[in-house]
Amino acid sequence: MKWVTWKNIGVDRMACAWLIRRWIDAEAEFFFIPMGEKPVPENGAPFDIPGERYSHHGGHCTFYVLLKENKINDPLLSRIAQMVDEADEIQEVTVEPAAFGLDLICRGLRRISKDDFEAMERGNLIYDALYAELSRNQV
Amino acid sequence: MTPWLLLHYKLPNKPSALRVYTWRKLKRLGAILLHEAIWVLPDQPRTAEQVQWLTAEIQEMGGEAYSWRANTILGQADESITQQFNEQVDKVYSDLLKKLEKPKADLQEISAQYQQAASQDFFHSKLGSLVREKLTSKRGGKS
Repeated sequence: MKWVTWKNIGVDRMACAWLIRRWIDAEAEFFFIPMGEKPVPENGAPFDIPGERYSHHGGHCTFYVLLKENKINDPLLSRIAQMVDEADEIQEVTVEPAAFGLDLICRGLRRISKDDFEAMERGNLIYDALYAELSRNQV
Repeated sequence: MTPWLLLHYKLPNKPSALRVYTWRKLKRLGAILLHEAIWVLPDQPRTAEQVQWLTAEIQEMGGEAYSWRANTILGQADESITQQFNEQVDKVYSDLLKKLEKPKADLQEISAQYQQAASQDFFHSKLGSLVREKLTSKRGGKS
């Protein structure tokens, strides 16, 4: 499937692209369109674009919404969703101190990548690493 | 010229929980309500993203919301608005400095409050650096 989002990805969309590729659609193809642009290319599933199904809802980030809408139940992914929520949404309750650092790293990652495709590939590594470390501590 | 973000919204009177929710979100973000009329934030990557999502969320909650990028026409207004943002965080910072003077200051609590204020310290208040220095110099063990 074609997945479409705005250019200049950060913490939430890197997490989403990783989740889509690893858990939802192994054949996923990604397209990055200029910020603010609508409608999105035909047959594409938009994500993290305001007003779309896969975007922020009820004060949760798009990653959280993707998990919920696709009925993915994995406690580690739920923890990552909490981190992304705290990094990318305004939260009164914060229980994941890694969130702030994750946001900074993803912003920097985009900054040092030549385009969104490269940033997305590198983002996969970050989230693979995060997931691996979380599973190690899960007893 | 300091670029600003402006947000204006209308939410149904009931349920009032939605209004409180939105208000608290804006306060948490560090926005300032000018003349009880319009919310202002400095235009920075993080604030711009948050305003974008909040605008969409207000619409989702059945309200109307408009957000803009703006420059003041008279530059001196920038200074006065910037000052309001600084005053907002300096109030917290002064309070933390007082707490730090106490012999049994709760360093963990002060650190948490410092981090919260620092996330709203858009114009790098000098008091903030002072709180940070005092906090880091108070850590235990041998230096």
